Amino acid sequence: MKNLVLMFLLAVLVVATASSLWRMFVATATIDGVRPLVAIGTDPVPPFPPPPKPPKPTK
Amino acid sequence: MESNFVQYVVQDSGILIEAALIFYLARTSKWRGQGAVAFYLSSLVVGQLTRACFLHEYGLTSLRYYYAYWSTDFLLVMSAFGVVCLFFRRACWREEKIWRLIRIFLVFLLVLVAAISGVSLSLNRHDFFTYFLVAFNQKLYFTCLVLNTLLYLMLHRMNSADDQLELLVCGMGIQFAGPAATLALVHLTYGGRFAKWLAYQTIPLCTFGMLLVWAYVIVYVPKTAGGLGRRDPPLRPVPAELSKL
Repeated sequence: MKNLVLMFLLAVLVVATASSLWRMFVATATIDGVRPLVAIGTDPVPPFPPPPKPPKPTK
Repeated sequence: MESNFVQYVVQDSGILIEAALIFYLARTSKWRGQGAVAFYLSSLVVGQLTRACFLHEYGLTSLRYYYAYWSTDFLLVMSAFGVVCLFFRRACWREEKIWRLIRIFLVFLLVLVAAISGVSLSLNRHDFFTYFLVAFNQKLYFTCLVLNTLLYLMLHRMNSADDQLELLVCGMGIQFAGPAATLALVHLTYGGRFAKWLAYQTIPLCTFGMLLVWAYVIVYVPKTAGGLGRRDPPLRPVPAELSKL
C-alpha cells in the first residue's frame, strides 16, 4: 500500500514537471515573450527590465 | 539588505572557490588530467568576474547588468554543453563505436536547438537579444540537463569504474536540476511571486553546491588509474560438483 502511494506521488511529480517544462518550451517558441528563469553562476539574478513603452500613435 | 548581503557573499565565495580550484589544479599538475573541469572553471571565472564588474558598477536593477548577465550566460551554457560532451567522451574512452554515435547525436542536438531558437527569432526580428540569445540559452540549458541525466544513467549501465567522473556528473546535476525544478514550480503556480523569488535564489545556490561537490572531488577523489574501464563483474560462485574436481 505504501509503495502504491509513493509510486502515485512520484508519477504526479514526474507528470507535473514534464508538463511544466513542455509549457515552458512552447511558451518560448511563441511570440508571448521569453522569460529567462534558469541560468548558471553564483551571481544574483537581475530582475526583468520594464517592458518598453509602446510608440505613440502618429496622426 | 540582508538578502543582498547573502547574495554578495554567495557570489564572491563562488568566484573564490573557482579561482582556488584553478590554482590548485595548476599547482598540483592535475591540469592535464582534468581538462574539462579546468575549462569549465575558467569559463565560470571569466563570466562571473564580468558580471561582478557590471554589478558593482551599475547595480542589480540596471539594464546594463541585465544584458551583461544574460550575455555571459550564453558563454556559460555553451561551456556547460562542452563539458557534458567532454564527460561523454571520457565515459566512452574505450568504446569508440558508441562515441562516434554520441558525437553525431550531440552535434545534431546543438544544431536543433539553434534552429528552434532561430524560428522564434524569425517571428520577432526586432529583438535579437531576447528572442534568440536568451531563448537559445534556456533551451540549451534544458538540453544539458537531459544529457547530464542520460550520462549518469549510462555510467551506471556501463558499470563504470571512474568514481571521479560519476561525482563530477552529480555535481553538474545539482547545478542543472535545482533551477529546473523551481522553474516547474513557477509554471505550476502560474508565475506566483514566491515561486519566482525562489527560482532566483536557487540559481546561485545550486551553482555554489556544484562548486562544493567539485572541490571535494578534485581534492579528495583520485582519478582512477587508466581509467575509464568498467568494473570487473563479481566472480560467480563455483558449483560444488566442479569444486571437487
